[in-house]
Amino acid sequence: MTFTSWQFGIFAAIVFAAYYLPALRAFQVQLLVFASLFFYGYGQPELLVLLAVAVFGTYLFLLLALRDRQVWLPVGIVFNLALLAFFKYKLLFIDPASPSLVDFAPLDFLLKLPLPIGISFFVFHNISLLVDLTRQKAAPPTLTSVFLYIIFFPQLVSGPITRAEMFMPQIKPKYFADIPFVEAAKWILAGFFFKLYVANNLNEMTSYMSFPLYETLQTQDRWLLVFLYSYQIYADFFGYSAIAIGLGLLFGYRLPINFNLPYISTSFSEFWTRWHISLSTWLRTYLYVPLGGNRHGIWRTYLNLVIVMGLGGLWHGAGFSYLMWGLLHGLLLVLERPLLGRMASIDFAAFRAARMSVVFVCVTMLWIFFKLPNFDHAVGYLTGMFTPSTNPNPTKLFYSLALLYSLPVMIQHLGFRPLAEGRLRWAEPYLYGSMAALTYLEAGPETSFIYFQF
Amino acid sequence: MFAAPWLVKCAAGAAILLIACGFATAHFGSGLQMPATTTRDGTLITLSRYLREPVPDIVLVGSSITFRLKEEYFATPRLRNLALAGGSPVTGLEIIANQPRLPRLILVEVNVLARSSDAELVERYSRGDTGPLLFRPVRAAVAAYEQRRHAPVTHEQVALNLRRLVEQPPSDFDSRIYADRALQQFNAEDPTDAARFNANRIAELIRVLEKRGARVLLFELPYSGPIESSRYAATIREIIHAAFPDSQRWLPIEVDRGELRWADGVHLDERSAVLVTQALERALALARTVK
Repeated sequence: MTFTSWQFGIFAAIVFAAYYLPALRAFQVQLLVFASLFFYGYGQPELLVLLAVAVFGTYLFLLLALRDRQVWLPVGIVFNLALLAFFKYKLLFIDPASPSLVDFAPLDFLLKLPLPIGISFFVFHNISLLVDLTRQKAAPPTLTSVFLYIIFFPQLVSGPITRAEMFMPQIKPKYFADIPFVEAAKWILAGFFFKLYVANNLNEMTSYMSFPLYETLQTQDRWLLVFLYSYQIYADFFGYSAIAIGLGLLFGYRLPINFNLPYISTSFSEFWTRWHISLSTWLRTYLYVPLGGNRHGIWRTYLNLVIVMGLGGLWHGAGFSYLMWGLLHGLLLVLERPLLGRMASIDFAAFRAARMSVVFVCVTMLWIFFKLPNFDHAVGYLTGMFTPSTNPNPTKLFYSLALLYSLPVMIQHLGFRPLAEGRLRWAEPYLYGSMAALTYLEAGPETSFIYFQF
Repeated sequence: MFAAPWLVKCAAGAAILLIACGFATAHFGSGLQMPATTTRDGTLITLSRYLREPVPDIVLVGSSITFRLKEEYFATPRLRNLALAGGSPVTGLEIIANQPRLPRLILVEVNVLARSSDAELVERYSRGDTGPLLFRPVRAAVAAYEQRRHAPVTHEQVALNLRRLVEQPPSDFDSRIYADRALQQFNAEDPTDAARFNANRIAELIRVLEKRGARVLLFELPYSGPIESSRYAATIREIIHAAFPDSQRWLPIEVDRGELRWADGVHLDERSAVLVTQALERALALARTVK
C-alpha cells in the first residue's frame, strides 16, 4: 500500500477517525501498532513474520543490554545487521530463480523471500533504539512502545529515520485539539505535489535513461536527463518524507525533517547536512563517531569519511554502482576538506554561486550510479555524455515540458522572495490549494517511490 | 494558527483551478493534441485522433515498425497510420472493428505477431473514452506551444524535402551493435504460440470487417538480412503465410533492399521509411485497381 493509492487514503482516514475517539484514547498506541502492522502486511503478509522477529529480537536484546550493555549491545547490533545483510546481499550468492536453493526447507523459504520493503529503515531504527536507550540507562520501555517506534506506518517504509531518543518521549496520549492541521496540510500537500506532479512526470522522461533506451538519446539529451533525474529523485524522496511528516503530525508525532534545500549547498559536507538528513545523522552518530570521527588525525578522518560513505552507498543495495556512488562522495568530502576553511573566507555572491553549481553538478552526475545500478550501464551512459551521438532516429524530448515539471524544485531551492519575506503570506493557502488541484490534474503515471527499493 | 480559515482558503484555491479547468475542458474539449513523452503516450494520441477525426479511406495498423512510416510521407490522401509503437497490430485492428464506421481499406502489418492485444486500450477506445476528464493545464500549454512551433505537416509541405532525402545516398550509420543485440533477442524468443493465436484472431477480425464492407490486406515490412532469417521472424512468416495462403490477401512491397538501412536491424531509418512508403503506395495503387 503506497501513500499515493486510494487504498491508503481510506486506511489513513479510518485510522485517524478511530485514533481520536475518546473511547479509544487509552489504546492509541495499540491502535497505531495494529494499523502499522496492517499497512506493512497489506499485500505481503508473509513479511509480517520477519518484522515480528526483528522487533521481538531487538526488544529482547534491549532488555538484556539494559542489564549488561557491554555484552548485549554488540549482539543486538549484529543481530540487526545480520538481518539486513541476509536480505539485502543474499542475491550476491544465490539465484532466486532456481527451484531449490538449499535442502533445508525453512532456509530455502527464507532465501526465496523478496527484499522486505523498508528493512534498511527499520533495522536502523532498531539499532538506534538499542544504542540510545542503553546509553541513557533508561527504564525498559513497553513492548508496544518499541513496536510503535519501529513500525509507525508513516515512517516504516522509507523513513525519516527517527532516533529513539527523539521519538520515545513523544509516546503519550494525543488530543484532537492539539493537531497542527495547517502545518500537517502543508507537508502533505507539498509531498503529494512533489511526488505526483514533479517526480512522476519527470519519471516518464528519465525512463529513457535506462539501458538500452539511453542509446537512442542525443548527447545533449543525456545531459538533460541526468539533471531531470536529479530533480526527480529529490522530488520523489522529499515528497515521501513530507507526506510522512504531515501524517506523523496528524497522529501527534513530530518526525525529523529529512531535506533542507540540498541543491543550494556550497560544499559536499553541507550537502550531507541537507540531503536525507536523518540517514546522514544516523551514519554520523552510529558509524562515523564510533569509528573515531575526526579525533585521530587528518588521515584517519579521511579514511573514516570514505568508509562511512562507502558503507552508506552499500546500504542502498548490493551493487558496485552503489558502492562507487558512496566512495566517490567520500572522495569528494576528502578532497574539499582541506579547502573548506579558505573557501569560507571568500564571501561574495558570484563565488558562492559557482561553488553551489560545482556541488550541484557533481552530485547530479553521481546520481547516474543510482539510476543505473549496473555499473557497465552507468559507465556506458556517462561515456555517451561526452561523445557525439550518431543515431539517425533519436528520441524526442519536450524541453518545455521538462522545464515546467522541474520548475517547482527550482523555485523551492532558489526561493520566491515575496513569499519568503511574508509579503504574500495571504496567498499561501491559495498556493497550496492550487498545488493540490495541479496534483490531481497533472499527476504523472503511477510509479513507486524510488527509495522503496532500499 | 487557527486552522479552519486557512483550510477553507486552500480548498477554495483548489476549487477555483479545478472549475477553471472544467470550463476549459468544456470549451476546448480534447481537441488539443497533447505532447507525448513516451511511446504509450504516443499511442494514446494516435488513437484519440483516429476517433476524433472523420473516418479515413485507408488505415494502417501495426507495430513500431510501421509507426516509422509517417503520414506525411504518403501522397495518398485520407490515409491514417494507426500503428502502435510497442504494440500489436491486433490492438489497432480490434479498435477499428469496434467502431461504428469503417475505412474502406485496412492494411495490417504482420511482422510483429508475438505481442498480445492490449485489452485495456481496446476497451477504452471502443467505448469512445478518448480524453482526460479534465483539462491538463501544463500539458495543454506545452501542446499549444509545440503546435505553434511544429504544426502538423502535410505531404505537400514536405514533398520537396522527401525528394531531397531520397536522392541522398543511404546512411552510413554503424548500427551493428544495436542490430546484434536485436538479433540476439529475435533468436532467443519463440513466438509460435502467440503468433498462431494472433493469426487466428486476425482471421476472425478480417471476416467481421469484410462482412461490414471493408477490405483488409496484409503486408510485411523488410528487416535487415540477419533479422529476416532469425528464429522470430522466420517463425512468424511461416505461421502467417500458412494462415493466409491466398496471394490476393497480400500487398507486396517491392523495394531495392540495397537502398535500405535500419537503425537497429528492425526499424527503418528515415530515408528507408520514405522509400518503403513509396513502394507501399505503388502496391496500393495497383491493389485498388484490382478489386
